[in-house]
Amino acid sequence: MEKKKRSMNRVNLPATVILVAFALLSLYPIIYLGFYSLKTNDEIFYSNPFGLPLHPQWINYVKAVTTFDVLTYFKNSVLTTAASLAGIFVLVLPFSYAVARMRWKLKGLASMFISIGLFIPLQVSLIPLSVLIKDLGMADTYGALILPYIAFNLAFPFMILSVSFRALPTELEEAAFIDGASVYRTFLSIMVPLVKPAISSAMLFSALGIWNEYILPTVLISSNKLKTLPAGLASFVGQHSTNWGAMGAAMMLASIPTIILYLCFSEKIENSLTIGGAVKG
Amino acid sequence: MNKMLADKKTIFIFTMPCLLFFGLIAFYPVLQTGIKSFYDWDGLTGGTFVGIDNYIKLFQDKLFARSFKNGLLVAGVLVLLQVIVGLFLTLLLLDKRIKCKKFIKTSFFIPVVLSVTAVCQLWSSILNPEIGLINRVLEMLGSSYQQDWLSDKSIAIFVIAFVNAWQYMGYEFVIMYSSANAIPSEYIEASSIDGASRWQTNFRIIIPMMKDTLRTCLIFAVTGGFNIYAQMQLLTQGGPGTATYSLTYMTFRSAFKLRKYGYGCTVAVVLILQCLCALMLINTLLSNKEEEGKRRWRKRSVQ
Repeated sequence: MEKKKRSMNRVNLPATVILVAFALLSLYPIIYLGFYSLKTNDEIFYSNPFGLPLHPQWINYVKAVTTFDVLTYFKNSVLTTAASLAGIFVLVLPFSYAVARMRWKLKGLASMFISIGLFIPLQVSLIPLSVLIKDLGMADTYGALILPYIAFNLAFPFMILSVSFRALPTELEEAAFIDGASVYRTFLSIMVPLVKPAISSAMLFSALGIWNEYILPTVLISSNKLKTLPAGLASFVGQHSTNWGAMGAAMMLASIPTIILYLCFSEKIENSLTIGGAVKG
Repeated sequence: MNKMLADKKTIFIFTMPCLLFFGLIAFYPVLQTGIKSFYDWDGLTGGTFVGIDNYIKLFQDKLFARSFKNGLLVAGVLVLLQVIVGLFLTLLLLDKRIKCKKFIKTSFFIPVVLSVTAVCQLWSSILNPEIGLINRVLEMLGSSYQQDWLSDKSIAIFVIAFVNAWQYMGYEFVIMYSSANAIPSEYIEASSIDGASRWQTNFRIIIPMMKDTLRTCLIFAVTGGFNIYAQMQLLTQGGPGTATYSLTYMTFRSAFKLRKYGYGCTVAVVLILQCLCALMLINTLLSNKEEEGKRRWRKRSVQ
């Protein structure tokens, strides 16, 4: 036993080395991008391709912002993500509440219907969806992105929220109703605040997905000033491929918000992903 | 109380917007995909019904055969790198004697939160034949072997699969790790007291207990491989030639480049069917094993 304890305290070196090697394989390409966003073309190509930038070229970031419209794309991404999240929760909060706590016959069917959303890949419905968006007069507007983002992100928040609503004690509603509150009032000022943790999990999960979504803006948005980051950046990859440093800077600017979001909420994001994984399987 | 929670008007107000919105924007287009796969449709008019013509054409289309095969190849690579290598890393990280666990886990996951555009741009600079990192490293190591990674017909599809696997490996890793971590430590301790080696414990105790999670990850990897699109668009545009077409890429090209909306829908339907078949196959394969295991166990316990 004594011997065993001692061996438990030691470090398993081979395994640690393998794991750290894989961690670096995941990390180094991003560091490489960060480095070359601060280098001149000459450094990237010839004199210093791997190491730290010796003379940081912050001008690359200025160039990325001034010549590449990064700020416009950034603004569009923030706007569509925020509007989609608002739409998702306006629709899904009352729906989840009604399914989890109210009494009606068709709720099993309704909940199954919304859950189909977990299994529909966007790709599969895209052709008719693009025609529908055109028919609604939404082609090439923010609506072309926001409406589908809302519709395709209802299922997962619904799953998380209905579980949380169900876990609340019924006395809460009883007390509120006795005090003369309406269902609406009870829902808004008592029930919704109590499921805040679930709301934030679902929100992080949906926000990451929407922020990085690539297909819709490339297919449904043609004017450059409405594109979100993933599509906007892709459109100048071909055009400006000569200025690597500035391109790297633009990629960094697009990636930093999600990296920060992840580093701040890593536990929460990982947890919501594992719930999502369990639900989807 | 009961009355208030069963009020029809309130229920209607609470549920209808969500149901209608989902029905119109998400569900209706999927139905349309199925219906329009039997139409000659240009996306502007209603189209004309052509029966199974699109399907006949599709199965004679060489591009379809290639795209289908590419989907299988990518799925294979993703299963290998994300599920098998990921599982191996998960088992390694479970060891209590590993330092800097948090760093390792976070590093694996960071690529997942990046935009696919940034990832593809990053890798296309690393893979660039003249100035890319990989060829430079080969050069420095004194090797004269240089490769134009994305322009070689036979390897481009594997490179694309690798880029996808690199980005999303962390996702499956986190799912597997938290499932393995949730296994009560008594099981593991008990088996080590019984004298099982670490890898015996892994194969006899941990992996069987993770079976549901592994099935989920397997489904993610396989359907993710079939659905691959962004990497094609960003790294190779389906090229060289048509060497890196996938079914999704073919769907979009048929519709938005060639204006054959109906034909594109047909490809999409085959894609759904392919995913469904894989799903059923994985489910039956893994659950059969369980049944067999149970049967064997029952036999043993009877003896």
